[in-house]
Amino acid sequence: MKYLTMILATFALPALANVDIVGNVEAKCVIQTDKSGVYGNPIASKLSTTPADGGVLPVIRYDVSIADAYTANITHPTSFSSSPTLTDTVAWTGSTSVTQTSDAGMSGYEAAKTVVENTTIFDLTLAGSTWFSTASSAVYGAAKPFSGGTYTASVVATCIPK
Amino acid sequence: MGGYAQAHEQTPAYPEIAPSHVNGVVKVQLQFLNRRKEINYYEIDLFDKNFDELNFTTQNKIIKIGYGEKTDFDVYFRKSDLDRAVYICTASKILKSNKSRAVVSSIVCSKLGGEPL
Repeated sequence: MKYLTMILATFALPALANVDIVGNVEAKCVIQTDKSGVYGNPIASKLSTTPADGGVLPVIRYDVSIADAYTANITHPTSFSSSPTLTDTVAWTGSTSVTQTSDAGMSGYEAAKTVVENTTIFDLTLAGSTWFSTASSAVYGAAKPFSGGTYTASVVATCIPK
Repeated sequence: MGGYAQAHEQTPAYPEIAPSHVNGVVKVQLQFLNRRKEINYYEIDLFDKNFDELNFTTQNKIIKIGYGEKTDFDVYFRKSDLDRAVYICTASKILKSNKSRAVVSSIVCSKLGGEPL
């Protein structure tokens, strides 16, 4: 009887097993186009994305999952990708700035950025999201008025692993 | 901020290089997700450290992909280019006839040769 009780007690024990849940966070960069830019036409010879000129700044968000794994290279345009026929030169200017961050530690990105020709490079040293906006301006040669039509130029946002 | 995601994503950041079924050719497997509503075409490219293009092949160098779709793709290149090949990138292609105000072209790259130490 004593042995039978011990055997039954053994079977009555709950079954226990360890089930591991394994997660892996790998380096990943996602480029989000939060806002497409629009060129304003404050004077006949100028197209500009600056709000004061009636334009809309494009806003690009970079999400990185791992700190210090990527650089964000953002290039402002130096030509139109599509436009009416132009017979004179266009003078291009532009710049890219940090407008919002998900982490207070990213506040140094703006001061640490490097500019190489028309590309601005940001070292994404922290995990999280950073919002950038790019100002772009095109002035037609000798203050000529731009012809009527649709003008499109591309800001190129690149995410490069280190 | 936008009401829906407009994202371009490519993984892994540091892909492995594997042998292919062709002698002297290696293969890299990548995954791509398009969440840019106004973009349906992306171009695949292989670069060296200076972003000069290298020869490679893949099933389609221009991927046609719908919004929210995910696709796997393989990039094949010569084993002899292993020392030079550094970045595999996908770049959004904006159609000239596109009436939308898509002025942001996105490029996401993966780096060959493993994670930095």
